[in-house]
Amino acid sequence: MSFNLFAAEEEALAKARALEARLGALAPECLPEFRDLIAAFELSTREQQRLVRVSDRLQAQLSDANHELDRQRSEAEEALDNLREAQEAMVQSEKLASLGALVAGVAHEINTPVGIAVSCASHLADATQAMRRRADGGSLGKAEFDRYLATAIDTTDLILGNCERAAQLIAGFKQVAVDRASAVRRTVNLAAYIQDTLVSLQPKFRPSGHAVAVYCPTDLELDSYPGVLSQILSNLVMNALTHAFADGQAGGMAITVDSPDADTVRMCFADNGRGMSEEHSARVFEPFFTTRRGRGGSGLGLHIVHNLVVGVLMGSITVCSAPDLGTSFTLQFPRRTPDRDLPVETLTK
Amino acid sequence: MNVRAEQHDMDCLTIPATGRTPGVSFDFGSGHLRMTGESYPDDVASFFGPVFEALRCFLNNPEGGPIRFDMELLYFNSSSAKALMNIFQMLETVARGGRSVTLTWCVEENDDSMRELGEDFAEDLRHVVFEMREMPAGGSQ
Repeated sequence: MSFNLFAAEEEALAKARALEARLGALAPECLPEFRDLIAAFELSTREQQRLVRVSDRLQAQLSDANHELDRQRSEAEEALDNLREAQEAMVQSEKLASLGALVAGVAHEINTPVGIAVSCASHLADATQAMRRRADGGSLGKAEFDRYLATAIDTTDLILGNCERAAQLIAGFKQVAVDRASAVRRTVNLAAYIQDTLVSLQPKFRPSGHAVAVYCPTDLELDSYPGVLSQILSNLVMNALTHAFADGQAGGMAITVDSPDADTVRMCFADNGRGMSEEHSARVFEPFFTTRRGRGGSGLGLHIVHNLVVGVLMGSITVCSAPDLGTSFTLQFPRRTPDRDLPVETLTK
Repeated sequence: MNVRAEQHDMDCLTIPATGRTPGVSFDFGSGHLRMTGESYPDDVASFFGPVFEALRCFLNNPEGGPIRFDMELLYFNSSSAKALMNIFQMLETVARGGRSVTLTWCVEENDDSMRELGEDFAEDLRHVVFEMREMPAGGSQ
């Protein structure tokens, strides 16, 4: 027996038709009206069947739409995952690029003392060669020997001074590079570390006449991640150099450090450049936000700064800027970075 | 009654389509009646009430000429479906009375279930001439 959704209606109709036959015999004058009633009931049943189909169709459409929605949502989620991966890859390559810039900066910086040392040494070699010829010829006079001594003292002083300068630069850079690469926690003198970092950046700002003034208590020691600090500083400086100053304008930057209390460091990085609108300053820390898309801006520099300050130094960063009034970033973080469960490597990676 | 910006005089009833209610354009002068868009009104009575009122008025006029009704709804809910069936019955009644009525059920290409619904809806039409017309999919008018 097949299932019939409208069995009851059909049964009622069968009864009505039986009744119609009896009514024809008993009260024939009622028959036309009764037949109208049956017709109306039949119509109503058919309409009911149609409405059920309409309703089922709507339900099916709803279900299709829901499936489509599910599919689109999982597609969107997948796209978001891909985007996150791409973002991580870009953050990584941005960091490598900034390390590359650091290396180039230091190489440039070391070039000067090494160059001076080489030419002094070469001058000394020439003078010594001349002395030997005179001595061999037996014609060396006292005045000449005195001049040679003076030259030797001057040049060896210069060679020594410049080699020491180079060694100092290399030591500073080595520390910065190791810190950057390994994210090691250690105690560091903040003022000295700021200087070490700025040295590597000097070739970037000195040719255009830009200058960075540092106001930092010389006895302020941090127990933190200096590599992270160095990355933060160079990103801030590079950001200012890229955006703050008009071509040919010699800009000024200042790093001012103080301690609102014994356990907190406040570092303000300010420039006197062109500043930016409220709309832009509200978005500077967003990943990929850049006003220089297609002109070398990745939109990640300040995003990385924000992540490092908040994620590694466990501090905060705010920006204050207005058109033509310069820009300042204020970082506040614990002097001694609190211990954490997560290894810092995963945060700086 | 004019809240929905409908125009209703002796010659026509025009109600612009909204997101939930269909466009109605009844040109009583020429006997061309048309419903378009989608129909799932919040309040069936307040939408279809004036439509039925105008239609009843028009159909009751014994001097009326031939009627062409184009049903171009792409989507309708159950109450709207019942309203449509009621309209079809009204048309069937005047057609039985001898007035020429042509009802065109318009479906988008490939919308087989809407086509089947149309055939279903036409089941009780004996005197109304029923036609099925395909429209290009996505071609809203």
